[in-house]
Amino acid sequence: MKELDPLLHSQLRLAVMSILMNVEEADFVYLRQKTDSTAGNLSVQLDKLSSAGYIAVDKGFIGKKTHTVCHVTELGRKAFEEYVDALRQYVHL
Amino acid sequence: MLLIKKIMEEKRITEKESLEIITEMISRTKDRYLGDGSILLMWGYLTVAVAVAVWILLDATHDDMWNWLWLLIPIVGSISTPVMVRRQQSRCGVKNYSDKVISKIWSVVGFSTVVPIMFCLAFQLIYNIDAWSMMLAYVLILVPFAEIAQGIILKEGILMSGGAIGLLIGIFTLCCIAGWVELGAHWYLPLFMAAFFAMMIIPGHMLNLRARQR
Repeated sequence: MKELDPLLHSQLRLAVMSILMNVEEADFVYLRQKTDSTAGNLSVQLDKLSSAGYIAVDKGFIGKKTHTVCHVTELGRKAFEEYVDALRQYVHL
Repeated sequence: MLLIKKIMEEKRITEKESLEIITEMISRTKDRYLGDGSILLMWGYLTVAVAVAVWILLDATHDDMWNWLWLLIPIVGSISTPVMVRRQQSRCGVKNYSDKVISKIWSVVGFSTVVPIMFCLAFQLIYNIDAWSMMLAYVLILVPFAEIAQGIILKEGILMSGGAIGLLIGIFTLCCIAGWVELGAHWYLPLFMAAFFAMMIIPGHMLNLRARQR
């Protein structure tokens, strides 16, 4: 049996990746609302996914406010697909 | 769904919980933010205002150089559109594939109107030939196509029908040009304005109304 990617096998990181797999890009506020997470926790998990190269994070400004936009990378897409494949084996789908 | 409702923490989860998270997150991204009609309204009112100004000035002065005013449409529109798009995107917080396709379609429309504008200006300045009627027909074919495509992608009937009216006017104008029917400013400029009313202003107000209701 394939091993589940430990980076994705975590509640918030998996939620973020599931959202980003389904859209082109999403900003920090959208991710926080959809995952019901706290800003601090989300920020930490985004950093982890970004360090692993699973997502790209672009930080910019709209007016005076910071605007952080994330999108999944090719590496992240592949990792997520492999994770889902492995998951299928575990739950016998 | 209790799992999702709790504040998410970094903790180990079971395989079944993983599947629940993936399913729940996919369903949460299904809500489609259609945005308001502010960009459509900006282009609609800008185009109609410039058309009215050109019409009045041409009528009053009989000087074709007032056609330079048409350049205000791409200049003002191309400056304000990116700002408005960014504001709208920051409000909805997400961009999906259909948003990307629509944005590309309108970029193609924008870039492909620059070249005929240059040709019309060159004809005017070098040969003193008025080729602006071609520009009007060209815009009234290209813009409605983009709007109909946007309507199909977003499943918005008002955009499809507005685009269809614009396209009909565009084809009519094209037929007139091909049939050497003289295109007097007194009838093709009102037609042009009517097309933009149907394509941009009416759908823009309806989208705004729907956005307010949401």
